[in-house]
Amino acid sequence: MNDTIDADVARYATAVRAAFADLPGPERELLLEDLEDHLQEVAAEGDGPLSERLGAPEAYAAELRASAGLPAPGARPTRPRRRLGQSRVARRLRGLWAAALAHPAGGAIVGFLPELRPAWWVARGYLAVQAASVALSFLFAGDGLRFPIPELFGSQVLGLLAVAAAVAGSVALGRRTVAGGRRARGLLVAGNTALALFAVLLLTDLGASRAAAEGGWDQAQYFEVYPGSDRTMGLRSDGREISNIYAFDQQGRPLRDVYLVDQYGQPVVTSHLDDPDVEPRLPVDAAGNAVLNRYPQAQDRVDPASGRRTPTTAPTFRPPPGPVRTP
Amino acid sequence: MDTTQLLKGVLDLAVLAVVAERDGYGYDVVRRLRAAGLEDVGDASVYGTLRRLYAGGLLTSYVVPSEEGPHRKYYAVNDAGRAQLGASTGTWRSFTDAMDKLLGTEGEEAA
Repeated sequence: MNDTIDADVARYATAVRAAFADLPGPERELLLEDLEDHLQEVAAEGDGPLSERLGAPEAYAAELRASAGLPAPGARPTRPRRRLGQSRVARRLRGLWAAALAHPAGGAIVGFLPELRPAWWVARGYLAVQAASVALSFLFAGDGLRFPIPELFGSQVLGLLAVAAAVAGSVALGRRTVAGGRRARGLLVAGNTALALFAVLLLTDLGASRAAAEGGWDQAQYFEVYPGSDRTMGLRSDGREISNIYAFDQQGRPLRDVYLVDQYGQPVVTSHLDDPDVEPRLPVDAAGNAVLNRYPQAQDRVDPASGRRTPTTAPTFRPPPGPVRTP
Repeated sequence: MDTTQLLKGVLDLAVLAVVAERDGYGYDVVRRLRAAGLEDVGDASVYGTLRRLYAGGLLTSYVVPSEEGPHRKYYAVNDAGRAQLGASTGTWRSFTDAMDKLLGTEGEEAA
């Protein structure tokens, strides 16, 4: 008899615990550590299985959860999502906007803004064609930005016609009061914002190409950043790259074919990330594998223009006056 | 009127009152609440409330071994629990006074 009660309690407790699987372990244990003992008391009190006397374990778990002040399972304890318009930033902006409108100068400027609308409609049409032209040149490897007349499919005539059509369309769209509800308005606002951003990019790019044409930064523009030259990779000493290593004996005579390993016995391998024009001629072992840690390496400096190779020269070294002792 | 909805709001107070009267283990508290007239009180609700009050530092607990059956974890009200009981009792009294006036009946003196 006791066995069946124990089995019933264990089964019921397991089902209840399963409903708390989403809780972190310590929290769950704090809540449920007495569950079995408690259910044992209930079971000892009367007859019939626990599920008849206490209801389904899932319902029991839900009631327990609610009375313990825990969120329903699956209800993540995240902050409720707020609409963008209700965010603190949005409220701040609305407050600033109201303050600007309240100021006489601000009011005058805002009052003047609607008169600028037609100018924006014209600019919008032009920008749309420029944006399309740049997008198409990405797709079809065209010339990219052409100023002032955009190029469509390699033709500036086509571009000019497109600008005329787009400006007409944009003005027509602007004169019409936009119906069609929030969705259509939202799309329009998004489109306008995108084109305004594109205008900023366009002006920036024009400024850059002007500066480049004046010899300003075309050096910088064509400077090739070698991958890995972030000054953390490769073999370095105080951040300065070590591309070759020369060893000398006590008399200052250069040693040849020295194998170098670090404190772990791993080969010490120099790198050429900051100076990619230096190419080592690595020795090869009997198995045909390159030997990376035999020094000094034979290296060539390769002229990137002509491809001509000149061997790098060894540094000079004068040993300190002897005898040199280790304390 | 559904008493389970009413119970939700006052179960903390009821459990504190029962345990303050005499230390008790989980099922004992359930029984005494039911004996006091709160027949609809749910076993899981009492268990959850006890655990929450314990985790919230209003109750202490100790284990009493028993010859037959499981060890019983007894709960006792500590100073914080007693303070909470006093404050909640005051809130409850003024609330029932207001409700009694609203309903136009003479409230019976609560035991």
